Amino acid sequence: MTEFLLAAAVFVLGTVALGLVRILRGPTNADRMLAAQLLGTGGVAALLLLGVATGTSALAEVGLLLALLAAFASVAFVSGATSGGHTTSGGQAARGGEEPGRDAG
Amino acid sequence: MLRSALGRWALLFGFWLLLAGPWDGASWREALPDLAVGLLAGSLATWVSLRLLPPTPERIRYGALLRLASQFLGKSIVAGFDIARRAFDPRLPLRPGYLDYPVRIPPSPDRAAFGALTSLTPGTLAVGSDEKDHLVYHCLDLDQPNAASLASDEALLLRIRFADSAQ
Amino acid sequence: MSLALDLFTIMSVALGALFFLAGTVGLLRFPDTLTRLHALTKADNLGLGLIVLGLLPQVGSVVAGLGLIAVWLLALLAGATVGQLLAGAVPPSESRQSHREGSRP
Repeated sequence: MTEFLLAAAVFVLGTVALGLVRILRGPTNADRMLAAQLLGTGGVAALLLLGVATGTSALAEVGLLLALLAAFASVAFVSGATSGGHTTSGGQAARGGEEPGRDAG
Repeated sequence: MLRSALGRWALLFGFWLLLAGPWDGASWREALPDLAVGLLAGSLATWVSLRLLPPTPERIRYGALLRLASQFLGKSIVAGFDIARRAFDPRLPLRPGYLDYPVRIPPSPDRAAFGALTSLTPGTLAVGSDEKDHLVYHCLDLDQPNAASLASDEALLLRIRFADSAQ
Repeated sequence: MSLALDLFTIMSVALGALFFLAGTVGLLRFPDTLTRLHALTKADNLGLGLIVLGLLPQVGSVVAGLGLIAVWLLALLAGATVGQLLAGAVPPSESRQSHREGSRP
């Protein structure tokens, strides 16, 4: 059973690695974020498989952290994309110090 | 207020116990500092949850909640098979497009939950809302009865809460 | 009994791994950001769910099993929320243009 679970973990990691091609191809940053999200879910699956195969229950906790970090990465991306990305929306986005190209000092 | 705070605290602390609980063979004396961290984490999480999601006076029908959960479990399984079928098909059978859904649930955490849940059902993905306060969905296949499926899910979700008339 | 459980694990984990492959194939083949997002959220969540289901008979205790389910639920919650957020961040004009080429056989 251990061998099978290890093989499954390697397989899942392989599909994640294949999915990372999307980072190279893009074309938009949102597409690249998708690959990061895939790394989150696939990484959790691989870590859970490894944890059970090797009897290391702590790996499940690492998987949990990975899932949370992937989610936070996407949230950070979305809040960054919507506050700085749209140039047409005008005053709404330009709240005080959030404006990036502003170093009058 | 106090009841829902206590309920949430119990739920969150129970969740902490599941994830990080000092289960493996530690004696009570060794586990005490860990438990203290858990109690603190549970209390902090309850505080955050009460701030972000203030309790509402409505009651919950647990039968309807269970039915909703099992229906979405089934639908998300169908959704996975649907994706696999389309992805592996050499002709790539997709007919993507947008759908404006006149949602009946008022803007609330419930509506956000509806959007998240329906993003797991086959072929629909909540994208946002438009100026007419409709939910905008992106659909994988416009030939599927997407709107009818959304309407039945919404009817089920609307049945979960009911006003507590005995107050 | 143990053989039946092992068989159950093998089938469930293998099927789950297959859904990870489906998610990656969808991520690479689907024509625009939003259809790729469909592929990722739906296929990967089912894949992770099946792998967790398959691992349940292999962990020693009920608590460890509940922990696995908790990890899956958190990943599911994060995936659905993040999927919605990312979908909202995709400018609609962009994918409206690009989905035309996708509907061609």
